This record gives sequence, structure tokens and C-alpha cells, in this order.
Amino acid sequence: MTSSNMTCDAFDSALPDYLEGTLEESARAAVEGHLSECVRCASLLRDIDNIRKDAATLPDLTPSRDLWEGIEARIAAPVIPLAAAPKRERRTSPAWMGIAAAALVISTAGVTYMLTANSLRSSQPSAVAVTTPADVPDESNAANGSGSAPDSLAPSSSVASVPETGGGPARVATSPTPRLASAQPASRQGVAAQFVTADQAHADAVYGREIEMLQKIVSQRKTVLDSTTVAIIERNLKIIDAAIEQSRAALAADPASRLLSDQLTHALDKKVELLRTAAMMPASI
Amino acid sequence: MAGALSNVVRVPMGDSTDVALAAAGDRQAFERLYRTHANRVYSICARMTGSRVKGEELTQDVFVRTWEKLPQFRGESAFSTWLHRLAVNVVLNARKIEGKQASRTDEGEVDDERWDETARAPLHIERMDLAEAIAKLPAGARRVFVLHDVEGYKHEEIAEMMGITSGGSKAQLHRARLLLREALER
Repeated sequence: MTSSNMTCDAFDSALPDYLEGTLEESARAAVEGHLSECVRCASLLRDIDNIRKDAATLPDLTPSRDLWEGIEARIAAPVIPLAAAPKRERRTSPAWMGIAAAALVISTAGVTYMLTANSLRSSQPSAVAVTTPADVPDESNAANGSGSAPDSLAPSSSVASVPETGGGPARVATSPTPRLASAQPASRQGVAAQFVTADQAHADAVYGREIEMLQKIVSQRKTVLDSTTVAIIERNLKIIDAAIEQSRAALAADPASRLLSDQLTHALDKKVELLRTAAMMPASI
Repeated sequence: MAGALSNVVRVPMGDSTDVALAAAGDRQAFERLYRTHANRVYSICARMTGSRVKGEELTQDVFVRTWEKLPQFRGESAFSTWLHRLAVNVVLNARKIEGKQASRTDEGEVDDERWDETARAPLHIERMDLAEAIAKLPAGARRVFVLHDVEGYKHEEIAEMMGITSGGSKAQLHRARLLLREALER
């Protein structure tokens, strides 16, 4: 107690607001009166003032290593644009990843079943319409002015759709003079299969590189990610890998199928998307 | 004339060009931003967590997040202000994730590593002591102290970021200062 009628306990209580400058004038005067008479409280205020000043001028710290390499690996531009990729700021929850992975397996199985059934039906004469280049003008050739079949692949019109990167002459059949798919010479179907297979092989190589890079990053980051999240990611990767395997097996049986090729691409997309999400996840401290 | 030219040369280049380039996907520009701001961001992360290792991990997270969010930066504040706020949010969000993993009290939060700054800044003996003492504070008090007394945020801003009341922030700050005084007196 001092002549200012303020106790040290009362000073301690008033000190935070005094330092904030939010005390009323009368209370402030009482604190300052106490400070002028109490060595203990004046020392406390001086020490705290010094701590505040020192804290405000602390020098910046320097990381023990260059962190850029790790950052750059994580922000590396995607090799493959994902049509169904989420917006950059959106986070995919582990639960939704599971649902998406399950949906992927179901849709893969469904498409495989449908194509298997169609394949069995088409072993007998059916109404699947195909056409020859003579029936329908080739748009790519029309565009570049050549107008004629560019190479030996031109007549191979039995493929259901055109590989996007192949610049291919094959197209969906809409001819008024249809032929039966089963009537296609085996060699033509084989050429079409090579066409799709080559396209898929190229995509596989690109996806392979992307997946390898992302897996490396995710593997390095496992220790800093939430263990539950890591477990969910690994579980979903297994589901997606199973879908990829199913698609590959179906595609091996029917290499000319563009639908199966798309199905495989979709599954690979999902794997890249999941790995990329994991690679970009913030660390759990 | 020479003086005028030298004045022009001395004008520091702002971040704005690199920010615009990086927002458009230029990784070299983004690396320049990283080089400019890495130490500052690392200081925030390391001091708020009380750990150099965690600070480095979170610094990487901050810049990955910055890369993602940069297209949304509208320049309403300085880039550095925006970046530092993002860094604080990344640290606080990481703490929330950790909190979900293991239920623990604020006081029970364990800092698995302290740093020894003596090797880093041998000319600042008294400040090294303060830095070490800050790292040893209880987590809640440390975060508020770093945000208020080191980074200069107001209690209202801290309360909003940390999801506490302004009064709670003031109480944690005072507690931190008293604990630091006690630690530095030893």
C-alpha cells in the first residue's frame, strides 16, 4: 500500500488495461501515483516494457535449409488437365474421396458388364452400323483440304469414336448404307485396335510420369500428414488401383474399345486427382 | 542528374509485378516472392509453434497455399500483409487439425522441439534469451504474444483469428509477459 491508496494487487489487476491505454483517467492517475512510490511495481512495468520493445524488434529467423525445392515440387504445374478437377481452393474431404472411389468402381464394373454383353451380342449379326470413308467425308481431311484418305488407317471405321490426339479418320457410323460390324474384316478391327492402343499407351506413359512424381511427394509427406487422412487416402488409392486394373483387363480383351479406354483414363484421372490433393494438403503439426 | 538517376535506381521494386506474374502461373516470379518473404513467414510459423521443424513444414504449406490463393489476391492490402495473415491462418488451422487428432488442453500442447538461436544470431545475446523464452511459453500464451507483441496484431484481430474473445487475448498476453519476465529473470 502506498499513499496513492492503490495496493500492489490492485496495480497488477489494472496493469493490462494500463498497458493497453484503456484505463479511465482517474484509474490511470491512481496507477501512475502508485508507480511513483512502489519500487516493485515500477520494476514490473519497466521489465514488461522492455519485453515488448525487444519482441517488436526481434530479428527474422532463417530456415535451416532451402525450402523452395519442396514447395516447387508441390506446386508443379499439372501435366494432365483434369476435366472434372475441383476448383483450386476446394478441398475434397476424405469421405467424399471414398464415395467417389466407390462410384468409380461401380461405374467401371457397369461399363465392363455392358461392353461384355454387347460384345457377346455382336458376335452374331447385329444392327451396329458402320460406314466407309466413301460414305461420309472425313472432317479432318476436309479441313486441311486433302479430302482423301491419308494413309492405310483411313478405312478403319469400326471404332466407335475417334482418338482425340490421333487425328484419326475413323468416326461414328451414321451412314445411310450401313454394314454390319461383324462383317468388318478382322484386319481392319486389328488396325483400329492398334490405333486406340497406341493412343492409350501414350496416355499411360504421361499418367505414369505424373503418378510417379506425385507418389514420391506424397510418400515424403506421409509423416507430416494427419495419420487418419493418410489411411483414408491409402484405402481409396487401393480402390482406384482396383478400378484401374479392371479397366486394363477389360481393355486387354477388347483393345479397340474407346469406351474402355476412356474408363481407364477416368480411373487414372481420379488417381492423379487424389494424389495431387494429398500432395497439396497442409501439414498436421 | 546523377543524383536523380541514383534515386530512381534506389527505389525498391515492389512485389506487384511478381505477384501478378505468379498469379498468372509464373513459377519463377513466385520463387522470387518466396525468396523475398521466406524468412518473415518462417519466423511467424516457427515462433507461433515454438519449433523450427514445424516452422519449416508450415512455411512450405504457407507458400503452397499462397500459390493456390494468389489468383484471389485483389491488392486491397499490401501483399506482405496478406501473406502474413495467410501464414497465421495456416498455423492456426494446423493446430485445429492437430487438436482433432488428440484431445488435449491448451496447456497440454507439447512442443517437441525447442530451438537454440545462439548459432544463428550470435550478436543478439539478450534477444536470443527472449526468443528461447517465447518458445517455452504455453502454446496459447505464446501464440497471442507472438501475434500481438512480435507481429503487431490487435486483440480484436487475434480474437477473430483464434476464435477467442478479445478479453481472452488480453489475458493470455498478460500471462505471457509475466511468464517471460519470470523466465528472463532466472
